[in-house]
Amino acid sequence: MSNTKLDKIVDKIDPSLFDFASYDASGAERTGYSDYSYWQSTFHVFLKNKVAVALLILITALVAYTVLQPYLPNQKSPTTIYNNVKTGIQLRNQAPDKEFLFGTNSIGQDLWSRIWSGTRTSLQIGMLVGVWQAIIGITIGCLWGYVRKLDGIITEIYNVLDNIPNTIIMVLLAYILRPSIFTLVVAMCITNWLSMARFVRNQIIIIRDREYNLASRCLGTPISRIITKNLLPYLVSVIMLQLALAIPMAIGSEVFLTYIGLGLPLNTPSLGNLINEGRIIMMVPSLRYQLIFPAVVLSVITISFYVIGNTFADASDPRNHV
Amino acid sequence: MLKYSLKRLGKSIITLFIVISIVFLFMRLMPEEGYFGQGYEKLDLIQRQTILTNLGLNDPWYVQLGHFYKDLLKGDLGTSITYRPKVAVSEIIKSKIFYSLNFGLGALAIALVAGISSGILMARNKNKFWDKLGNGYIVIINAVPAAVYYIFLQLYVTDIFKLPILFDKGNPLSFILPVLSMSLGPTASYAMWMRRYMVDELNKDYIKLARAKGLSNRVIMTKHVLRNAFVPMAQYLPASILYTLVGSIYIESLYSIPGTGGLLVDTIQRQDNPIVQALVLIYASVGIISLFLGDMLMAGFDPRINLEKQGGTR
Amino acid sequence: MKKSISLMLTAMLSISILSGCTKATPKTSDSGVKQEYSTVYSGELTTLNYLVTASENEFAAAANLVDCLVDYDKYGVVKPALAKDWTVSSDGLVWTFNLREGVKWVTNDGKEYAEVQAQDFVDAMKYVLDKKNNSETSNIAYSALKNGEKFYKGETTDFSEVGIKAKSKYVLEYTLGATTPYFLSMLTYVCFMPVNGKFLSEAGAKFGTDNKNLLYNGAYILQTFEPQNSRVLIANDNYWDKANVFIKKLTYSYNKEATTLSPELFSRGQITDATIPTASIDEWMKDTTKKETVRPLATTFYSYFYALNFDPKFDAKYEPANWKIAVNNLSFRKSLFSALDKKAAMMTAEPYEPERRLSNTITPKNFIDLKGVDYTQLGTLAKTSAQSNFDSAKAKDYKTKAMEELKGKVTFPVKIVMPYSTASSDWTNRAQVIEQQMENLLGKDYIDIIILPYPPTGFLNATRRAGNYSFMECNWGPDYADPQTYTDPFSTEGNYNKINLATDYKESNGKGKYENMVNAAKAEVLDTEKRYKLFAEAEQFLIDEAFVIPYSLGGGGFIASKLEPFTSPYSPFGVSANKFKGQKIMDKAMNTENYKKSFEAWQIERAAALKVASTVK
Repeated sequence: MSNTKLDKIVDKIDPSLFDFASYDASGAERTGYSDYSYWQSTFHVFLKNKVAVALLILITALVAYTVLQPYLPNQKSPTTIYNNVKTGIQLRNQAPDKEFLFGTNSIGQDLWSRIWSGTRTSLQIGMLVGVWQAIIGITIGCLWGYVRKLDGIITEIYNVLDNIPNTIIMVLLAYILRPSIFTLVVAMCITNWLSMARFVRNQIIIIRDREYNLASRCLGTPISRIITKNLLPYLVSVIMLQLALAIPMAIGSEVFLTYIGLGLPLNTPSLGNLINEGRIIMMVPSLRYQLIFPAVVLSVITISFYVIGNTFADASDPRNHV
Repeated sequence: MLKYSLKRLGKSIITLFIVISIVFLFMRLMPEEGYFGQGYEKLDLIQRQTILTNLGLNDPWYVQLGHFYKDLLKGDLGTSITYRPKVAVSEIIKSKIFYSLNFGLGALAIALVAGISSGILMARNKNKFWDKLGNGYIVIINAVPAAVYYIFLQLYVTDIFKLPILFDKGNPLSFILPVLSMSLGPTASYAMWMRRYMVDELNKDYIKLARAKGLSNRVIMTKHVLRNAFVPMAQYLPASILYTLVGSIYIESLYSIPGTGGLLVDTIQRQDNPIVQALVLIYASVGIISLFLGDMLMAGFDPRINLEKQGGTR
Repeated sequence: MKKSISLMLTAMLSISILSGCTKATPKTSDSGVKQEYSTVYSGELTTLNYLVTASENEFAAAANLVDCLVDYDKYGVVKPALAKDWTVSSDGLVWTFNLREGVKWVTNDGKEYAEVQAQDFVDAMKYVLDKKNNSETSNIAYSALKNGEKFYKGETTDFSEVGIKAKSKYVLEYTLGATTPYFLSMLTYVCFMPVNGKFLSEAGAKFGTDNKNLLYNGAYILQTFEPQNSRVLIANDNYWDKANVFIKKLTYSYNKEATTLSPELFSRGQITDATIPTASIDEWMKDTTKKETVRPLATTFYSYFYALNFDPKFDAKYEPANWKIAVNNLSFRKSLFSALDKKAAMMTAEPYEPERRLSNTITPKNFIDLKGVDYTQLGTLAKTSAQSNFDSAKAKDYKTKAMEELKGKVTFPVKIVMPYSTASSDWTNRAQVIEQQMENLLGKDYIDIIILPYPPTGFLNATRRAGNYSFMECNWGPDYADPQTYTDPFSTEGNYNKINLATDYKESNGKGKYENMVNAAKAEVLDTEKRYKLFAEAEQFLIDEAFVIPYSLGGGGFIASKLEPFTSPYSPFGVSANKFKGQKIMDKAMNTENYKKSFEAWQIERAAALKVASTVK
């Protein structure tokens, strides 16, 4: 029966509407090619944002300068005390002038070199802590969020470590190891990775049972591949934002620790103790420069990282790669 | 869900036990000098030993730990030794928690309302005026250290608006500035994350479909984007509420608010073990409960999240 | 979107509306200045139990709430307080006090509770010496009283063996373990204060935990006590000497940032006095109106000095053995002594007029006197107090001598370990200043000062008490009004710098020369003049041999205050100096010039008063 119907349709077709297709041997060899590269596109989108680019250049210049500053000519040591040649009294609290570009502090030390030395120290601490936080935090966060068997144990370990007050750990470490950069880095590393881990774990819990992951599991994909190819790329944008803020937050914690008396001693300048010193004399208008300069440097660093992080997070979302 | 909750409850109690024991032992590592305050130099050896023995600090650590748990089971949080000697710990903490909770909840309410609505505003007007303004605010709040802008606010705003500098419980005006100052940081934080999550959601394919279907912007925002974007933030919500009882160290010390803000740091530095232990007990319980509630809340918002069932994983 | 805008607008609107109804601070300008004192403070009291505490803050509170047997007037002359008069036995061991009758204990509502009697002092002492009460001042009490230490240690359980008895309702008798010429000055200390036995036993462990669990017989009653918030004291209507109490109300408001905020509050007229922090003092002095309200604050009797350690026990990498040999050489020590620029060091804490706080002797000036002549002017100490130690030429001289004498025995530069506490930013700064100043003067080929930061936790035990230093800033406060108290740190049992281990000073009896000098002075209990002179010689010896470098006194600084200076009791030791009795509030703050004039006048009057008092004795 269907045959006749079909025959009727076929008869009605006008042959002139059709042409035989030719066989193109080379055309058959052409494969699909897309020159889409994820990271290239990400940078491309990132570079479109002028403000972020400007800040990236600024921050690179800043970091470069802090590294190069001690080697430049005419730079003073951050700890040497300068005395008035005639009277022998310390050149205390001098306002910024030609000799001392940022002025001097209350015992006659050059604030310009102290700020750069302090920025160096704080950036060092921030980067060490930030990198550690990233590696450990993300790894543990992923395992915690994804592998259900580990969820129970890691949750309890998290609960234990999170609830031991950081202050006790800091006070004990300062007492046993004595205040120094090493002690501070160790203390901050021990305590800071927890929030990153929890953050990543929350994100993973949200996506771990989505269909594409179920599919991967059905296919027998190993856990490591699921984490690196399915989960992490999905979370790139939020992880980037969190990472970008890690350094300013590490410096912020350092300021707080100095406020409660557990930071670096003053003979090792850092942004934290410079700001704290400045805060104490904030009430005196003529000495405010001692607070303003380190606060400006800290602000520039924080703003740059924030904007760069935000822009990068926006750029790393593939849906923004037009 | 019930079985899961019970399992977690059981684990929480063990965790609490471990936390408190560790803190207990850590505090015992502190040097004896700290228990005596200013008079340390003038005390002779017999006196020092007598005082330490009377405080129970010369007993071996397991004996001390045993005493502590025995008292705890009776509901006794102990008596302070250096902070306010001979006064019951529960009495000291009770009055302070009240103040911290009040200020904290007030600030949290303002921050949630202001922050989340700003975040939504910023996301909807991405890269336009409101977004730039909001970003500017967030950047400033994060860049300037809190310790600095708090004091500036205290001195200049009180001068301009003639508000009282120090907190005074009889004067309702003195509540305003501390609460506002406390809410500035969290507002920025909520705004920033809300914006990020919403922007991510708005990029997703199903939103394109919804627009293609002709849904109005408002419906898309409220029915789809908001709910999805809010899920990750929901995890932290119970923690934010419960942690208000911890108090803000900066604000409370600047405005003379008798809250719990600096209490933990103070008592650790003064080595008042009973108060430290009691505070850790309270804060740890709060932390554990809020992690749990956060998970519940997150799962409640997003039905795709399953806390217990395997769903086919290994 | 609309929500956030409207929220912000409402907030702004409400603030501006509320600011309209400003709270007016009532300015009292009736006849005379309102005698009410208010201030902010950051060091909170931990307890009101004056029998157990050793903290300065708590002494200050107790001084105004409870009186002692004796008191001091504004020149530092001993005057009767709860005791009308007293006698001493000829051997100096038995002191008998006749109490003033009709003095009442009141509760915090001002209601009379009981009469103050001799038994109250006995009950208080029993509490202090009972070790289960954890009193931190027991050792001061038992160092003086007969059998006091025995009772404390538990070697005897019969309190009646201890040298304190209520002979009758109003007669109190102390029996001392050894003749103690300065016993009278110890009576103004907290451990000798009375307490009502019945009230104490009823209150039990709650005694002193708040203002209700305390009885008052002093000039003021604690009306409100809210820790971390405020406390209010009002004048005690039942006080036996209430005619001399002019300020009727004392209000203390707590604020952790008191040091930063109080100058601002003072300028706004909200508090009576505010200490001006060192960083702001330049600013205040430049402003013409503010300058008129600022005056110097008196120095205290805390003596600061730099100790050279004779028993170094620090890390081998800092070469302790090397230091030990060097420190035993007199020229080496003297080079350090002359090289320390105290003024430069003091600039870190007191940039304005640093000389005021510097001291060239261990015993502070105006501490005690001998017939109107200040102790620091006795014998050769007069010359020492007048001249500064700092002399760069001499320092270099001694350096050359030391390098010669120690050639081959010591490796130069000698490493000098100088620890400091990171809790004090002043000290951190000072350590850096001193390190650079001394190294620049004496040369880095001679000494290498290494400053080591230590956290405040367990600081003393980690540094000085463990011998973990070569050269360090130390301090000492007096325990009683006698030069002997400033020799305690340097005694053999002391844990300061162990000068008894110095190699060149052993005398025939096997003890060091300083120790013998001090023991001879201590033995002189009857002739005060001879006693003081012997102590003065011992101190001169200490300084001459450069065992320590006297540095400064505590206190100092500047204060903006409406309290009239030189009206409160003046005492070198004990709690009297904290009393508000006798003080008056002025209409406006006194400025520096007037203060200096009043100070000079006061010194003259004081010398005269002391002279009169010594003849009466």
